[in-house]
Amino acid sequence: MSSQGQRLRIYFTGVGGQGTLTATNLLAKTALMCGCDVVAGEVHGMAQRGGVVESVVLLGGWRSPKLDLGEADLLLGFEPLETLRGLPYLRQGGTVLSSSDCLPPLSVALGTSAYPSLTTIQDDVQKVAGKSLFVPCRTLGREAGSIQSGNTVLLAVACTLQSLPFTLDDLRTAIKTFLPEKLHQSNLKAIELGKAYVEQQ
Amino acid sequence: MGKHPLLSEAQGEKILLLGNEAIVRGALEAGVGMVTCYPGTPSSEVVDTFRRIGGDGRYSMEYSINEKVAMEVACGAALGGAKSLVTMKHVGLNVAADPLFTTAYTGLPGGLVVLSADDPGCHSSQNEQDNRGYARLAGLPCFEPACAEEARSMTRAAFALSRDLEQPVLLRTTTRVSHMRGPVTLHKLPDKKELVDFTKNPMRFVPLPAVARKRHLALREALQKASEIADQSPFNTETQQQNTSLGIICSGVARAYLADALASGGWEDKANILELGMTWPLPEKRLSDFLNRCTRVLVLEEGADFLERDVRALAQRIDASATIEGKNEILTECGEYSRSLVMKRLAQWFDCPCPLKPAAGQSQELPMRPPNLCPGCSHRAVYYAARKVFGDDVVYSSDIGCYTLGIMPPLRTADFLFCMGSSVSGGSGFSKASGKKVVSFIGDSTFFHSGMTGLANAVFNHHSLLLIILDNGTTAMTGHQPNPGMLQESLGEGCTHLDIEQIVRALGVTACKKIAAYNVRGLMKAMTEYSDCDGVRVIIAEEPCVLYARRTLKKVSNNVAYVAEQNEDTRRCLAELACPAFYKDGENIAVDETLCSGCMVCLQVAPKSFKAKKREGGRS
Repeated sequence: MSSQGQRLRIYFTGVGGQGTLTATNLLAKTALMCGCDVVAGEVHGMAQRGGVVESVVLLGGWRSPKLDLGEADLLLGFEPLETLRGLPYLRQGGTVLSSSDCLPPLSVALGTSAYPSLTTIQDDVQKVAGKSLFVPCRTLGREAGSIQSGNTVLLAVACTLQSLPFTLDDLRTAIKTFLPEKLHQSNLKAIELGKAYVEQQ
Repeated sequence: MGKHPLLSEAQGEKILLLGNEAIVRGALEAGVGMVTCYPGTPSSEVVDTFRRIGGDGRYSMEYSINEKVAMEVACGAALGGAKSLVTMKHVGLNVAADPLFTTAYTGLPGGLVVLSADDPGCHSSQNEQDNRGYARLAGLPCFEPACAEEARSMTRAAFALSRDLEQPVLLRTTTRVSHMRGPVTLHKLPDKKELVDFTKNPMRFVPLPAVARKRHLALREALQKASEIADQSPFNTETQQQNTSLGIICSGVARAYLADALASGGWEDKANILELGMTWPLPEKRLSDFLNRCTRVLVLEEGADFLERDVRALAQRIDASATIEGKNEILTECGEYSRSLVMKRLAQWFDCPCPLKPAAGQSQELPMRPPNLCPGCSHRAVYYAARKVFGDDVVYSSDIGCYTLGIMPPLRTADFLFCMGSSVSGGSGFSKASGKKVVSFIGDSTFFHSGMTGLANAVFNHHSLLLIILDNGTTAMTGHQPNPGMLQESLGEGCTHLDIEQIVRALGVTACKKIAAYNVRGLMKAMTEYSDCDGVRVIIAEEPCVLYARRTLKKVSNNVAYVAEQNEDTRRCLAELACPAFYKDGENIAVDETLCSGCMVCLQVAPKSFKAKKREGGRS
């Protein structure tokens, strides 16, 4: 696969502890493995205490390690509320692939604020996105053997839908090359579940 | 297990690295022999990586007690002959500035690179100070990488320059550079460390006034030489265009934003570009030549207007006629820059339309997801107890760590904060002047960092405050780095545990109690007993950080809490303790078993409402 010419800007968002940065790193390494020009950006620190974690991967020759509002071609959301919060980063007509499994923030858990319904989130997404799909990533991740591999489900969905310029085989190779061996089985299973989910749609 | 990729001998191999990891590789390629630090975001991954990869005996490293100590140990090591690296976040350099200014005079033959990781945008800091100012103030050559590859190559070049000039050199990153990932090409690792023999020379290395006056001249000479090196530096590059007399001078990460902005706008041929990677001392010849060829010049730099002011001063000195612009209402001194901000500024400066499309807004208010103390965090128990005993009748002097999150409701146990260690000394001054009761909170690592000196001062000067040391046995906020309070079995052979209680007592504190932090009743009793006393009182609330206990100490409670009875107390516990493991299930309150750590603090707060039961299955 050669995609040096293709410029693609991906925005990741999730909740601290979900493995958002691991997924970002995996995708960036996959890109380098496939000969893509790649730069990724993350912010560490306060985020890990249950806050929002955002990161970016830019393919095809960008130098800036960050994105502004309205710039992402693809939004990968590992939690639906965070997908909605990150939506302003998507360009008009971009693609949104998101988990549909909610992790309510504390204020919602304590009953002092309300979590928007999944329908509301999907409606809002459809107003901006040209293409979108919500996937029960945590559920499928648990089925694959670890909740964290739910992130790989989403990456596999993105590859299957050709929203990313990589094949599932690229992703399989990357998992075997870059993740610790004890995570191979669940993440490879997660790829199959992601692929199957798209095919059922 | 194979060698860590950062220790790979393979040359020419391209691997994806975090900016901070690329700094590690650059330092290894330069033959670094000593690494010291105090952890702080966004610098921490540098030294954590040195720790993780072990290094095959290539270097010694330590987590120092604070940045000043880290700087002094590294300066000593550089004088002892090793290429030395000291890493810290930007505000850490304020703590470490004293030895740095002096060693810029005396010089350090072994070579010293000082990493300052700045945080424009305050992602995890109390200010966005621009430490390029230190390069100017102390007289340090300065490198500013804008990508991972440059983080490697500039670190290596910084060491070479430092050894060549025998001067400390500043490597200045920002959050975006430290935490970006990009391809890095590996270069050769040296076979052995080259130590520079120390030759005794007190008339150089002991800065008596007579020595210092001479050494100041030596520093100016070294900087003159460095300016000539900057003129030739491969990190300072020019892109020339035909048919334009416009010029842009750009430094640091703003270079990345400029490149993307020019490409996005199709503006590549509109201006000549001078990119600066070695930014201090100024490459004066190069800048002069550039200024003389331009009619209009725009200076692009994130942060303070250092470069802009220098370019203006230089233009005046060489009588250049170019019109110079820089900061304005679009590109200010505050916050981070970005591709789109730079595009707006360029469109204004080129006087052409800006092709940016407006972004979609947010249609509704969303529930926020602020960072919070973890479920089972022992700080929550201490803050709950403090709020019960003192309420709003005292002023809470907080400090820097996870426990600053005590500012969040319902705990609200942070009223002011200056910097690392200020809870003790700031609290002392506050109570002396106002006569109000002060309760100060400080973590174990911060206590060792600079709380001990404040405590000695408080005893010495008869201040009045209650200091609560939140001892969770690790440097939790920045990723569980060791500190002297950590248990000996976790520290291993290379470090010795220091006992906080013994230190507190040795500093002259007689009113001192140590209580398990999950023991809410014990805490409240001690706080009540100490609340009306004068003088310095200390409570050490001890309990390992819950994340550290689970991940590193492998301690997991077999029990979890559940709600046995829905009543007024259950609701009060939810409102006053607000553990993130609680959730509302309709009108009822419940405990999320996957989040509950089994600390059982809620059982003490509302004994009839919460009960313990065996955890089902393992933790997810």
